Amino acid sequence: MIHNIHASQYIPPTLFHVVSATAAITHAAGAVSGTIALALGAANETSVVTIPIMIPSNARALQGAKLVSVELDFVNATAEFTSHTFVLNKVTRGANLSVAVVAPITKTDSVAATASHAVDEVKQVVTLTVPEWVDNDCYYLLEDTIVQGGGGGTCKFLGAVANFTLRL
Amino acid sequence: MIHNIHFAQYIPYTAMHFVTGTWTDTAGDVAGTIAKHKAANTETAVVTVPIMIPSNSIALQGSKLASIELDYECEVAAATSVTAVLHKIVRGVDGAVAVASHPTITQDLVAAVAAAAHEEHKIVVTLTTPVWIDNDEYYLCEFSFVCGAAVTVDVFGAVANFTARM
Repeated sequence: MIHNIHASQYIPPTLFHVVSATAAITHAAGAVSGTIALALGAANETSVVTIPIMIPSNARALQGAKLVSVELDFVNATAEFTSHTFVLNKVTRGANLSVAVVAPITKTDSVAATASHAVDEVKQVVTLTVPEWVDNDCYYLLEDTIVQGGGGGTCKFLGAVANFTLRL
Repeated sequence: MIHNIHFAQYIPYTAMHFVTGTWTDTAGDVAGTIAKHKAANTETAVVTVPIMIPSNSIALQGSKLASIELDYECEVAAATSVTAVLHKIVRGVDGAVAVASHPTITQDLVAAVAAAAHEEHKIVVTLTTPVWIDNDEYYLCEFSFVCGAAVTVDVFGAVANFTARM
Protein backbone atom coordinates (compact mmCIF):
# COMPACT_ATOMS: atom_id res chain seq x y z
CA MET A 1 0.00 0.00 0.00
CA ILE A 2 1.10 3.53 -0.78
CA HIS A 3 0.46 6.06 1.99
CA ASN A 4 2.04 9.42 1.24
CA ILE A 5 1.09 12.38 3.41
CA HIS A 6 2.90 14.92 1.25
CA ALA A 7 0.97 14.79 -2.03
CA SER A 8 -0.12 18.07 -3.62
CA GLN A 9 -2.00 19.16 -6.72
CA TYR A 10 -1.56 22.49 -8.49
CA ILE A 11 -4.87 23.98 -9.68
CA PRO A 12 -4.34 26.58 -12.42
CA PRO A 13 -6.42 29.77 -12.50
CA THR A 14 -7.86 28.65 -15.83
CA LEU A 15 -10.04 26.27 -13.82
CA PHE A 16 -11.37 28.93 -11.46
CA HIS A 17 -14.98 30.09 -11.59
CA VAL A 18 -15.80 33.78 -11.22
CA VAL A 19 -19.18 35.38 -10.90
CA SER A 20 -19.25 39.16 -10.95
CA ALA A 21 -21.97 41.46 -12.15
CA THR A 22 -19.74 44.13 -13.64
CA ALA A 23 -16.07 43.51 -12.88
CA ALA A 24 -14.01 42.52 -15.90
CA ILE A 25 -12.65 38.98 -15.68
CA THR A 26 -9.75 38.22 -17.98
CA HIS A 27 -6.81 35.93 -18.49
CA ALA A 28 -3.70 38.01 -17.91
CA ALA A 29 0.02 37.67 -17.49
CA GLY A 30 1.11 37.58 -13.88
CA ALA A 31 3.25 40.31 -12.41
CA VAL A 32 6.24 38.00 -12.60
CA SER A 33 7.17 37.29 -16.18
CA GLY A 34 6.21 33.80 -17.23
CA THR A 35 3.34 33.42 -14.80
CA ILE A 36 -0.37 33.37 -15.62
CA ALA A 37 -3.28 34.89 -13.76
CA LEU A 38 -7.00 35.33 -13.70
CA ALA A 39 -7.54 39.06 -13.33
CA LEU A 40 -10.48 40.69 -11.60
CA GLY A 41 -10.99 44.30 -12.64
CA ALA A 42 -12.00 47.19 -10.42
CA ALA A 43 -15.68 47.49 -9.58
CA ASN A 44 -17.63 48.55 -6.54
CA GLU A 45 -19.40 45.27 -5.96
CA THR A 46 -19.15 41.79 -4.51
CA SER A 47 -17.50 39.16 -6.70
CA VAL A 48 -17.19 35.45 -5.97
CA VAL A 49 -14.24 33.32 -7.05
CA THR A 50 -14.62 29.56 -6.64
CA ILE A 51 -11.73 27.11 -6.83
CA PRO A 52 -12.64 23.51 -7.70
CA ILE A 53 -10.43 21.10 -5.75
CA MET A 54 -9.33 18.61 -8.37
CA ILE A 55 -7.82 15.71 -6.48
CA PRO A 56 -8.53 11.98 -6.76
CA SER A 57 -11.40 10.42 -4.86
CA ASN A 58 -12.30 6.84 -4.13
CA ALA A 59 -15.42 4.74 -3.70
CA ARG A 60 -13.85 2.99 -0.70
CA ALA A 61 -13.54 4.59 2.73
CA LEU A 62 -10.04 5.60 3.80
CA GLN A 63 -8.60 5.27 0.29
CA GLY A 64 -7.72 7.80 -2.38
CA ALA A 65 -7.12 11.33 -1.11
CA LYS A 66 -7.50 12.87 2.32
CA LEU A 67 -7.79 16.63 1.87
CA VAL A 68 -5.73 18.55 4.41
CA SER A 69 -5.46 22.12 3.17
CA VAL A 70 -5.83 24.42 0.19
CA GLU A 71 -3.45 27.27 -0.59
CA LEU A 72 -4.51 30.20 -2.74
CA ASP A 73 -2.04 32.67 -4.23
CA PHE A 74 -3.36 36.08 -5.22
CA VAL A 75 -2.27 39.68 -5.51
CA ASN A 76 -4.36 42.63 -4.40
CA ALA A 77 -3.34 45.77 -6.28
CA THR A 78 -4.09 49.48 -6.62
CA ALA A 79 -6.25 49.84 -3.54
CA GLU A 80 -7.34 47.91 -0.49
CA PHE A 81 -10.50 45.83 -0.79
CA THR A 82 -13.19 45.81 1.86
CA SER A 83 -12.79 42.08 2.46
CA HIS A 84 -11.90 38.61 1.22
CA THR A 85 -13.93 35.90 2.94
CA PHE A 86 -13.11 32.23 2.49
CA VAL A 87 -15.54 29.33 2.74
CA LEU A 88 -14.71 25.71 1.97
CA ASN A 89 -17.77 23.81 0.81
CA LYS A 90 -18.22 20.07 0.54
CA VAL A 91 -20.62 19.20 -2.26
CA THR A 92 -22.32 15.82 -2.09
CA ARG A 93 -23.58 15.08 -5.57
CA GLY A 94 -27.23 14.24 -5.95
CA ALA A 95 -28.46 10.92 -7.30
CA ASN A 96 -30.30 11.17 -10.59
CA LEU A 97 -33.36 13.42 -10.05
CA SER A 98 -31.94 14.87 -6.82
CA VAL A 99 -30.13 18.10 -6.08
CA ALA A 100 -26.66 18.28 -4.58
CA VAL A 101 -26.20 19.01 -0.89
CA VAL A 102 -23.66 21.57 0.29
CA ALA A 103 -22.05 21.66 3.72
CA PRO A 104 -19.40 24.19 4.80
CA ILE A 105 -16.29 22.60 6.29
CA THR A 106 -14.79 23.86 9.53
CA LYS A 107 -11.35 25.31 8.78
CA THR A 108 -8.86 27.98 9.70
CA ASP A 109 -7.28 30.66 7.52
CA SER A 110 -3.57 31.41 7.80
CA VAL A 111 -3.96 35.04 6.79
CA ALA A 112 -6.14 37.20 9.00
CA ALA A 113 -9.11 38.91 7.43
CA THR A 114 -7.55 42.35 7.72
CA ALA A 115 -4.36 41.21 5.98
CA SER A 116 -6.07 39.27 3.21
CA HIS A 117 -7.57 42.36 1.64
CA ALA A 118 -4.53 44.63 1.88
CA VAL A 119 -2.56 45.63 -1.21
CA ASP A 120 0.01 42.87 -1.22
CA GLU A 121 0.94 39.40 -2.39
CA VAL A 122 -1.17 36.95 -0.42
CA LYS A 123 -0.77 33.23 0.15
CA GLN A 124 -3.85 32.13 2.02
CA VAL A 125 -3.69 28.64 3.50
CA VAL A 126 -7.08 27.21 4.37
CA THR A 127 -6.62 24.21 6.68
CA LEU A 128 -9.38 21.76 7.47
CA THR A 129 -9.85 21.30 11.19
CA VAL A 130 -10.49 17.63 10.49
CA PRO A 131 -8.95 16.43 7.19
CA GLU A 132 -11.42 14.47 5.08
CA TRP A 133 -11.15 11.43 2.82
CA VAL A 134 -12.81 12.34 -0.47
CA ASP A 135 -15.59 10.01 -1.55
CA ASN A 136 -16.31 9.60 -5.25
CA ASP A 137 -19.75 11.14 -4.74
CA CYS A 138 -18.29 14.33 -3.26
CA TYR A 139 -16.08 17.20 -4.24
CA TYR A 140 -14.86 20.39 -2.60
CA LEU A 141 -15.08 24.03 -3.65
CA LEU A 142 -13.12 26.85 -2.03
CA GLU A 143 -15.09 30.06 -2.31
CA ASP A 144 -13.56 33.52 -1.97
CA THR A 145 -16.15 36.27 -1.66
CA ILE A 146 -14.56 39.61 -2.42
CA VAL A 147 -16.23 42.82 -1.35
CA GLN A 148 -14.28 45.05 -3.66
CA GLY A 149 -15.38 48.45 -2.42
CA GLY A 150 -15.08 51.73 -4.26
CA GLY A 151 -11.34 52.23 -3.99
CA GLY A 152 -10.49 50.80 -7.37
CA GLY A 153 -8.80 47.64 -6.14
CA THR A 154 -7.97 44.86 -8.56
CA CYS A 155 -6.90 41.29 -7.97
CA LYS A 156 -4.90 38.67 -9.83
CA PHE A 157 -5.30 35.00 -8.91
CA LEU A 158 -2.16 33.03 -9.71
CA GLY A 159 -3.32 29.55 -8.77
CA ALA A 160 -4.03 27.19 -5.93
CA VAL A 161 -2.50 24.07 -4.45
CA ALA A 162 -4.40 21.33 -2.66
CA ASN A 163 -2.43 19.35 -0.07
CA PHE A 164 -3.53 15.84 0.69
CA THR A 165 -2.61 12.38 1.81
CA LEU A 166 -2.58 9.87 -1.03
CA ARG A 167 -3.38 6.29 -0.18
CA LEU A 168 -3.76 3.49 -2.69
CA MET B 1 2.25 -3.16 -7.18
CA ILE B 2 -0.77 -1.04 -6.39
CA HIS B 3 -4.03 -1.99 -8.06
CA ASN B 4 -7.06 -0.02 -6.85
CA ILE B 5 -10.31 -0.36 -8.80
CA HIS B 6 -12.24 2.32 -6.93
CA PHE B 7 -10.52 5.53 -8.02
CA ALA B 8 -12.41 8.58 -9.26
CA GLN B 9 -11.57 12.09 -10.44
CA TYR B 10 -13.85 15.11 -10.19
CA ILE B 11 -13.76 17.26 -13.33
CA PRO B 12 -15.24 20.72 -12.79
CA TYR B 13 -17.22 22.25 -15.58
CA THR B 14 -14.57 24.96 -15.82
CA ALA B 15 -12.39 22.33 -17.54
CA MET B 16 -15.11 21.51 -20.09
CA HIS B 17 -15.65 22.76 -23.62
CA PHE B 18 -18.97 24.30 -24.67
CA VAL B 19 -19.97 24.83 -28.29
CA THR B 20 -23.23 26.28 -29.63
CA GLY B 21 -25.54 28.30 -27.47
CA THR B 22 -25.10 31.14 -25.05
CA TRP B 23 -23.29 29.75 -22.02
CA THR B 24 -22.50 31.73 -18.88
CA ASP B 25 -20.82 31.05 -15.56
CA THR B 26 -23.34 31.19 -12.74
CA ALA B 27 -23.86 30.15 -9.18
CA GLY B 28 -25.62 26.80 -8.97
CA ASP B 29 -29.21 26.51 -7.78
CA VAL B 30 -27.87 25.06 -4.55
CA ALA B 31 -25.91 27.76 -2.72
CA GLY B 32 -22.21 27.08 -2.74
CA THR B 33 -22.17 25.21 -6.05
CA ILE B 34 -21.06 26.42 -9.47
CA ALA B 35 -22.67 25.91 -12.87
CA LYS B 36 -22.44 26.67 -16.57
CA HIS B 37 -25.84 27.87 -17.74
CA LYS B 38 -27.19 27.62 -21.26
CA ALA B 39 -29.82 30.12 -22.27
CA ALA B 40 -33.01 28.96 -23.95
CA ASN B 41 -32.84 28.56 -27.71
CA THR B 42 -33.67 25.95 -30.29
CA GLU B 43 -30.31 24.39 -31.07
CA THR B 44 -28.02 21.48 -30.38
CA ALA B 45 -25.37 22.38 -27.85
CA VAL B 46 -22.29 20.21 -27.45
CA VAL B 47 -20.51 19.83 -24.12
CA THR B 48 -17.20 18.00 -24.18
CA VAL B 49 -15.63 16.66 -21.00
CA PRO B 50 -11.85 16.17 -21.14
CA ILE B 51 -11.07 13.08 -19.09
CA MET B 52 -8.23 14.32 -16.92
CA ILE B 53 -6.77 11.20 -15.32
CA PRO B 54 -3.20 9.86 -15.38
CA SER B 55 -1.90 7.86 -18.32
CA ASN B 56 1.19 5.71 -18.67
CA SER B 57 3.65 4.83 -21.41
CA ILE B 58 3.78 1.21 -20.24
CA ALA B 59 0.89 -1.07 -21.17
CA LEU B 60 -1.50 -2.04 -18.36
CA GLN B 61 -0.23 0.65 -16.01
CA GLY B 62 -1.60 4.03 -14.99
CA SER B 63 -5.38 4.35 -15.36
CA LYS B 64 -8.02 2.06 -16.78
CA LEU B 65 -11.04 4.21 -17.60
CA ALA B 66 -14.31 2.50 -16.64
CA SER B 67 -17.06 5.14 -16.69
CA ILE B 68 -17.87 8.83 -16.73
CA GLU B 69 -20.67 10.58 -14.85
CA LEU B 70 -22.10 13.98 -15.71
CA ASP B 71 -24.26 16.07 -13.38
CA TYR B 72 -26.62 18.49 -15.13
CA GLU B 73 -30.13 19.85 -15.06
CA CYS B 74 -32.70 20.46 -17.78
CA GLU B 75 -34.66 23.47 -16.60
CA VAL B 76 -37.96 25.07 -17.57
CA ALA B 77 -38.83 22.20 -19.93
CA ALA B 78 -37.57 18.85 -21.12
CA ALA B 79 -34.89 18.73 -23.78
CA THR B 80 -35.42 16.69 -26.92
CA SER B 81 -32.50 14.40 -26.17
CA VAL B 82 -29.15 14.16 -24.42
CA THR B 83 -26.73 11.76 -26.09
CA ALA B 84 -23.21 10.77 -25.10
CA VAL B 85 -20.35 9.76 -27.38
CA LEU B 86 -16.86 8.85 -26.22
CA HIS B 87 -13.90 9.84 -28.36
CA LYS B 88 -10.48 8.26 -28.04
CA ILE B 89 -7.93 10.68 -29.43
CA VAL B 90 -4.55 9.32 -30.42
CA ARG B 91 -2.22 12.31 -30.58
CA GLY B 92 -0.39 12.83 -33.83
CA VAL B 93 3.36 12.79 -34.08
CA ASP B 94 4.93 16.05 -35.18
CA GLY B 95 3.51 16.94 -38.60
CA ALA B 96 0.58 14.54 -38.33
CA VAL B 97 -3.02 15.02 -37.29
CA ALA B 98 -4.61 13.29 -34.35
CA VAL B 99 -6.75 10.24 -34.99
CA ALA B 100 -10.14 9.82 -33.33
CA SER B 101 -12.03 6.63 -32.72
CA HIS B 102 -15.14 5.92 -30.71
CA PRO B 103 -15.09 3.22 -28.05
CA THR B 104 -18.41 1.52 -27.48
CA ILE B 105 -20.31 2.89 -24.52
CA THR B 106 -23.72 2.69 -22.91
CA GLN B 107 -25.54 5.50 -21.12
CA ASP B 108 -27.83 4.58 -18.25
CA LEU B 109 -30.44 7.24 -19.03
CA VAL B 110 -32.24 6.88 -22.35
CA ALA B 111 -31.33 9.81 -24.59
CA ALA B 112 -34.76 11.07 -25.57
CA VAL B 113 -36.55 10.06 -22.39
CA ALA B 114 -34.94 9.93 -18.95
CA ALA B 115 -31.82 11.88 -19.90
CA ALA B 116 -33.86 14.72 -21.39
CA ALA B 117 -36.52 15.11 -18.70
CA HIS B 118 -37.11 18.41 -16.96
CA GLU B 119 -35.10 17.39 -13.90
CA GLU B 120 -31.75 17.10 -12.15
CA HIS B 121 -29.65 14.39 -13.78
CA LYS B 122 -26.72 12.16 -13.00
CA ILE B 123 -25.98 10.28 -16.19
CA VAL B 124 -23.48 7.44 -16.21
CA VAL B 125 -21.59 6.57 -19.40
CA THR B 126 -19.95 3.15 -19.14
CA LEU B 127 -17.32 1.75 -21.47
CA THR B 128 -18.25 -1.69 -22.72
CA THR B 129 -14.57 -2.56 -22.49
CA PRO B 130 -12.62 -0.40 -20.02
CA VAL B 131 -9.38 0.92 -21.46
CA TRP B 132 -5.86 1.49 -20.17
CA ILE B 133 -4.78 4.97 -21.22
CA ASP B 134 -1.52 5.33 -23.08
CA ASN B 135 0.43 8.57 -22.73
CA ASP B 136 -0.03 9.27 -26.44
CA GLU B 137 -3.80 9.37 -26.19
CA TYR B 138 -6.62 10.95 -24.26
CA TYR B 139 -10.38 10.67 -24.02
CA LEU B 140 -13.15 13.19 -24.58
CA CYS B 141 -16.72 12.48 -23.57
CA GLU B 142 -19.12 14.50 -25.67
CA PHE B 143 -22.71 15.21 -24.70
CA SER B 144 -25.10 16.61 -27.30
CA PHE B 145 -28.02 18.51 -25.84
CA VAL B 146 -30.78 18.80 -28.44
CA CYS B 147 -32.82 21.69 -27.09
CA GLY B 148 -36.18 23.12 -27.95
CA ALA B 149 -37.04 26.78 -27.60
CA ALA B 150 -37.82 26.80 -23.90
CA VAL B 151 -35.33 24.51 -22.21
CA THR B 152 -32.28 25.82 -20.40
CA VAL B 153 -29.44 23.66 -19.17
CA ASP B 154 -27.11 23.82 -16.17
CA VAL B 155 -23.93 21.72 -16.20
CA PHE B 156 -22.36 21.20 -12.78
CA GLY B 157 -19.43 18.81 -13.18
CA ALA B 158 -18.31 15.31 -14.02
CA VAL B 159 -16.55 12.38 -12.40
CA ALA B 160 -14.37 9.81 -14.14
CA ASN B 161 -14.16 6.37 -12.52
CA PHE B 162 -11.04 4.32 -13.11
CA THR B 163 -8.65 1.69 -11.87
CA ALA B 164 -5.26 3.01 -10.78
CA ARG B 165 -2.28 0.69 -11.14
CA MET B 166 1.34 1.58 -10.48
